[in-house]
Amino acid sequence: MSRLGIAWVVLLVGCGQPGDGTTTGGADGDPAAGLAANDALSVYVVNYPLEYFAERIGGEHVDVRSPVPDGVSSASFSPDTDAIAALQSADLILLNGATFAKWVETTALPTTRTFDTSASFSDRYVTVENAVVHSHGPEGEHSHGETAVTTWLDPTLALEQARAIRDALAGARPDARADFDAGYESLAADLQALDERFEEITRDHLDVPLIASSSAFAYLARRYEWNVHTVPVDPDHALDDDGWHDLTHAIEDHAVRHVLWTKSPEGDTAARLESIGVGGIVFSPCTDRPAAGDYLSVMESNAATLVRTFADEP
Amino acid sequence: MKQTLYLAWRYLAFHRVKTMILLLSITLILFLPVGLRVLVNQSSLQLTERAEATPLVFGSKGSPLELSLNTLYFRSDFPEPMGHEEQERILETGLAPVVPMYVRYHSQGHPIVGTSIEYFEHRALAVGAGRLFAKLGECVLGARVARSLGAEVGDAIISSPENLFDLAGEYPLKMVIVGILDHADSPDDDAIFADIKTTWIIEGIGHGHQDVSEQDATSAVLSREDNRIVANASIVQFNEITDENVGAFHFHGDISHFPLTAVIAFPPDQKASALLQGRYQSDESIQVARPSEVMGELLDTILTIESFIVAGAVLVGLATLASAALVFSLSLRLRRREIETLFKIGGSRASVISLMLSEMVVVLVSGVVLAGVLTVLTSQYGAVLVRALVRM
Amino acid sequence: MTSDAVIRIRDLEFRYGEGDFRLRIPELSIQSASSVAFAGPSGSGKTTLLHLIAGIVTPIQGRIATAGVDVSALSDRDRRGFRIRHIGLVFQEFELLEYLSVLDNVLLPYRINPALDLTQEVVERAHALTEQVGMVDKLRRAPRQLSQGERQRVAVCRAVLAEPRVLMADEPTGNLDPLNKGKVLDILFDYQKTSGTTLLTVTHDQDVLERFERVVDFKEFHA
Repeated sequence: MSRLGIAWVVLLVGCGQPGDGTTTGGADGDPAAGLAANDALSVYVVNYPLEYFAERIGGEHVDVRSPVPDGVSSASFSPDTDAIAALQSADLILLNGATFAKWVETTALPTTRTFDTSASFSDRYVTVENAVVHSHGPEGEHSHGETAVTTWLDPTLALEQARAIRDALAGARPDARADFDAGYESLAADLQALDERFEEITRDHLDVPLIASSSAFAYLARRYEWNVHTVPVDPDHALDDDGWHDLTHAIEDHAVRHVLWTKSPEGDTAARLESIGVGGIVFSPCTDRPAAGDYLSVMESNAATLVRTFADEP
Repeated sequence: MKQTLYLAWRYLAFHRVKTMILLLSITLILFLPVGLRVLVNQSSLQLTERAEATPLVFGSKGSPLELSLNTLYFRSDFPEPMGHEEQERILETGLAPVVPMYVRYHSQGHPIVGTSIEYFEHRALAVGAGRLFAKLGECVLGARVARSLGAEVGDAIISSPENLFDLAGEYPLKMVIVGILDHADSPDDDAIFADIKTTWIIEGIGHGHQDVSEQDATSAVLSREDNRIVANASIVQFNEITDENVGAFHFHGDISHFPLTAVIAFPPDQKASALLQGRYQSDESIQVARPSEVMGELLDTILTIESFIVAGAVLVGLATLASAALVFSLSLRLRRREIETLFKIGGSRASVISLMLSEMVVVLVSGVVLAGVLTVLTSQYGAVLVRALVRM
Repeated sequence: MTSDAVIRIRDLEFRYGEGDFRLRIPELSIQSASSVAFAGPSGSGKTTLLHLIAGIVTPIQGRIATAGVDVSALSDRDRRGFRIRHIGLVFQEFELLEYLSVLDNVLLPYRINPALDLTQEVVERAHALTEQVGMVDKLRRAPRQLSQGERQRVAVCRAVLAEPRVLMADEPTGNLDPLNKGKVLDILFDYQKTSGTTLLTVTHDQDVLERFERVVDFKEFHA
């Protein structure tokens, strides 16, 4: 199109009353910095660990909320339009990444105010073994395998997520950077201590074979180099024959004496395992807010469970 | 004077065709340059405002004008897309918040603008009915689109295929209207807005289909080996996103390569803007356009065109005035007998002369007044008129 | 000369520019309220004399007194003012304004000279005049919608609306059929008798001449 032609198009097209508006938000034009300095940032998170980290780091500068109602699992939660509207108006949205909260993929979240806290280690996600993948045609596009989501169970990865949260908060509220740094350092010290605790606990028992009943333990296993084999077993339902067969087969193959569970298994599964000399280790992934305590106390409790379990090991 | 004006009025009314032609000619030659100047000034103002409200536009290397027109006015051929990774790159600088744009598809002639909800915040667009889009497959209409389609919240629209023969590529997606914007008197009134991921669904990068791992999907399965399933072409793909099937929608490929036509950046200050532009100064694949500059150059061209038109209009105006003067003088000649009669029966010189001149004066004054009214109307409604002409 | 002469002319001489035409009238008086016809060959100066009496043109020398006013000594502006008040003119070609209605044509003199003031009384008088000539039902019509006889009747109304001292009719029946000719003449003479105005006419028509009290033959004036 010639320049004159374009000029005419623009002349004809460009008419409209003033009303395009200017950038919204604060004096510096950033929508995310639109609040007065003494208002707390409204921060939405997709799971409890992020909530804990954000509160530890943000302190009084943040009002951390979750779109997940009480009693609902954040792993399977999907927001309705009201919840999405609340998310869209948040100052910050903290995602876990690693495909936790699949609903994010189909939801319209504000680009600039949404942060993937695990983006810095996205090349180190754990792919779940034996997950179903599909492709369109033999050479066509394919889906990737499922990704393990519980990144926060590895204290070193949790630390990276905490760092990302600190940076996101500081970007939104630069004048509180010092407070965020202080909160982060405090949390980092606790996470590092937690990491050392787990290292110490498992140092002498690296080779103890374990069955993991879900991919929730993938990051832990990788971090502390556990001898873990994953056999997906749903603790909420009693084992059927096929499930029992797969489980006992794996137990036998790897001479396993312990099965890692995210919660106590329903029905007689535990009893059946006991009867063949296999015990259960309930290690809470702390995905949702605990009835009592917090992330650290839950992880401490998990550590104590491991201590008790490995105390019997040679 | 009153009597003379009465007689002049009767004369003009009797010769109404001649009077109307003269009146319209004079009105036009007076209005044309003035009205054009008003229109151009308005257009310039609005172009400038929209451009200044869009500080920086990032896009693939190419014509800054084409990039700006596509991003600001949703017109023109869409520019060569760039990857979504470019948005992340800009965000990582921490220098400016950004809004992604994918303006490529249309529905019933109206552009579908794939973007994020921050677009509405930066453009200060208010929702008149319903709400902003929250999920894939939802869309929000500009006020004028809703009016022209007779659409309401809850209705649906379907994207138009770019290429009727590309059956394996993008295909029509049915989108539900969840909101209608308030009238904004800007190109936003004429657009359909959806989340950028929705436009990627239209593109065919993402899709939703029946779960191939389910038992009743066997007819759609080409092969199954361990945990790897290969679907065949008969697999049913959803062309509408509902609450029931939204979980089935997914994207194939790496999001960093998913297409954007532009990224609008809103640096908070001059320093951030300069730093951001500086980082891309020698980038080989990405250009940074400043719409205020691009439109400024265009406005210079428009003003040049306008000058030529005004000059032409002035020349035509002079010719028209000369013609009008000729008509008046011929009219006087034709009325010579009438003038003689009026003098004979005792008409005063002043009355007779003013009667003859009144014809000219009334037409001229009416022309000036009418031109003035048209100019005022143009300043009030000119933009609306031009938009209507453009849409015709 | 008698003392009630409305028009007195003495030693009048007139010519148009450097042309050959000359009009010389040593003396002429016309009685008030009389009817006088000017007769003579074409080009003998009949219409010119009407114009001189009305002050439309001025003589090279001599004196014309109309209704006691030395018209020949007035300024152009004063002559118009005098004419609009005291002289009524009826033309052979009617000379109505095509773009005015019948009523507006009748009222025309009151709109073209501030010496006359258009009042409601004048409008009522116009209505009365048109009624007398049988045109009151056609007040809104345009001249092109009237017959020639009707047009001349409207012209007469226009000429007499200001109640002139002298009513001049230049070939008033020249374009009329015999029936209308009679009607128009009747109107002129009825008005002349009832108002006491002096009726002057220029005509070649013998039938018309016979109705006038006096005929002035222009053969004797034309030199």
